[in-house]
Amino acid sequence: MEWITVLNYPVYLAIFICIYGCLAIGLNIQWGYAGLFNAGVAGFFAIGAYTSAILTSPWAEGRLGGFDLPFPVGLVGAMLLAGLLAWPIGKICLRFRSDYLAIVTIGVAEGIRLVARSEEWLTNSARGISAIPRPFGDLPYAKAQLVYLGITALILLVAYVLVQRQAVSPWGRMMRAIRDNESAAQAMGKDVPYRRLEAFILGSALMGLAGALYVHLARTITPDAIDPMLITFLVWIMVILGGSGNNRGVLLGAIIVWVIWSTSEIVTDQLPSEYALKAKYGRMFLIGLLLQLVLRFRPEGILPEKLRKEPREERRVGEQDSVTQATGNIIN
Amino acid sequence: MKAKHLGLASLLLGASALATPALADVNIGLLNGITGGAAAMAPEITKSLQFAVDQINEQGGVLQGEKLVGIMADDGCSPQVAADAATKLVNVSQVIGVVGPLCSGALMAAANSATIPAGVILISQSATSPEITTLKDNDLVFRTIPSDEYQGQALARTLLDRGTKKVAVSFINNDYGKGIAEAFKKEYEAKGGEISGYEAHEENKSSYRADLAGLAQGGADTLVLLDYGDTSGLTVLREAIENGFFEKFVGAEGMKTSAPIKAIGADNLTTFMASAPVSTKSEALDIFNKAFAEAGGDINASYVGPSYDAVFLLALAIEKAGGDKSKLSESLRAVSNGEGEPILPGEWKKAKELIAGGKAIDYKGASGELNFDANGDVPGSYALFKVAGDDWEVETEMK
Repeated sequence: MEWITVLNYPVYLAIFICIYGCLAIGLNIQWGYAGLFNAGVAGFFAIGAYTSAILTSPWAEGRLGGFDLPFPVGLVGAMLLAGLLAWPIGKICLRFRSDYLAIVTIGVAEGIRLVARSEEWLTNSARGISAIPRPFGDLPYAKAQLVYLGITALILLVAYVLVQRQAVSPWGRMMRAIRDNESAAQAMGKDVPYRRLEAFILGSALMGLAGALYVHLARTITPDAIDPMLITFLVWIMVILGGSGNNRGVLLGAIIVWVIWSTSEIVTDQLPSEYALKAKYGRMFLIGLLLQLVLRFRPEGILPEKLRKEPREERRVGEQDSVTQATGNIIN
Repeated sequence: MKAKHLGLASLLLGASALATPALADVNIGLLNGITGGAAAMAPEITKSLQFAVDQINEQGGVLQGEKLVGIMADDGCSPQVAADAATKLVNVSQVIGVVGPLCSGALMAAANSATIPAGVILISQSATSPEITTLKDNDLVFRTIPSDEYQGQALARTLLDRGTKKVAVSFINNDYGKGIAEAFKKEYEAKGGEISGYEAHEENKSSYRADLAGLAQGGADTLVLLDYGDTSGLTVLREAIENGFFEKFVGAEGMKTSAPIKAIGADNLTTFMASAPVSTKSEALDIFNKAFAEAGGDINASYVGPSYDAVFLLALAIEKAGGDKSKLSESLRAVSNGEGEPILPGEWKKAKELIAGGKAIDYKGASGELNFDANGDVPGSYALFKVAGDDWEVETEMK
């Protein structure tokens, strides 16, 4: 067997990590920087996936499509539409705080899923869209995968660098200030609703991008792919476990969670068959347990958020409440 | 990042080295819906798959007496989980062929991202979506279950033959329900039937009274219910009977489970019928049923016959191709094309000897003749079942 075929599975794993990395960075902008509890990640993922699928797939009877546009157009379209749809959703939903926002975003994601399931003219409903092209997908298996890994890794790298630069800029400090103490930020003259909307749209566009990357990998999309457990829930665990507010942390979270999720089956398959079958249910448990342990012993995540040191005179006072911290952020 | 990936890759290589069993085995992948939407059907399907593998090994194994090893993986009835599992089967376990997955969406993702590019043959026992027929599969995707297209058409013709000219249709809003409902509608209307109501319903709702009331307004006394009898189909059926929305009920194979009989009672189901694929040559089915029941399986469970046949056919193809992966599709067609010495379920030893002697064989499966067409599909033969006592009984053959 050629060495290149041995790499197939790790490469596939890495492609998925890159896709989840995009989702995790998107959620990190929303939760890690702006403190928005978005429980509807799957919805924006779906918008991106379907948009790119419709834009790039060949014509098929009974549904919108036949544009046959190139892959990059699909990606850009996915980001734009996910961002555009996030605008009215955010405009309405971001008035809610924390847990209320979570409930509303779950509802929105379910709504998007039902639209994908039911609107035949748009998404071909339950049968889904197939024959979606993959760039260089006609190459032999291993090479096609390697090329696609290159593309996703490059996109993730660009997204990471851009978001990271944004996060250490005054914009990032302002976002953290809004997250930590909204009233204080408002008193400093920041337009809080506008900034929150900005973070929501930016994060959602990245989630849409991840959806598009997934759809060109699988070359087919059906509504069952919009599974809140596999998309929303796993991404949240990646962000919390890796360390929300730290882009490197959430990428590490994506690697850890997806590797455990995917490779645990190989390990449990070594068990006698009756236990191996039961162990398939144990994967979710394993991830949940890991989350519990992290929350118990390291609530800030494996790689916690790095905040800039407090100014000297404030540290001498000793006590630091969130107001001084937030103002500190703004002044810095 | 890069260094991490490399570290990871080497770690996985270690894992894959561990996972690859001794060289004397022939590995096949069994993608089974152990978790997820099809989990209720998985235990009996698992038994059937394992039964086929055991039977083959007891009768001499494959090729030069090598052991056939079925590596069970979870498709989760979900595209992502199935594609991930298929990638592992193809690359880590190095399987020569795959049986499964159970769900159509899962099959398309798994086939597109792993088995087709890797040139691995895939035979599904229960993915019935018509979309799979048109998949660009390099002749690598097969099914031992007919596409919903056929069953919907057969159901429409049978109802019209029996004098039912007006029906309402309620179907579960997924690839299965929709595929079969569309085929039914097309054929029924083309042959002169009238459809007074045609609605999809979502799965796992607590009540369907509003949906049913809307459908009943069309004035039909027969409801065609295309759903799963273990989940929402049961709720729809119960509510329709309780509230007297319809008098007669007709389901497809998803409804032909034991759950409605247990939950609603045979006395209340005298006007309920369900179609399901059956074998035309009942000899093969009888042999399978007897052997499977002795092995502790439930012969009335869904998809046990097609599951057994999928494994048996894959093994026959491996034997015929002499273990050459690239010849499997060709060999699969050769061992079941209607020509040659008939092979019935369980006759592995006989088949092996005939193949070794260079004679043509024709497998006649528990679920039918299984002669694949150009798309890797099989034409279906169906019967309409009614409830009798605590079980299902054939009412009439369907054409």
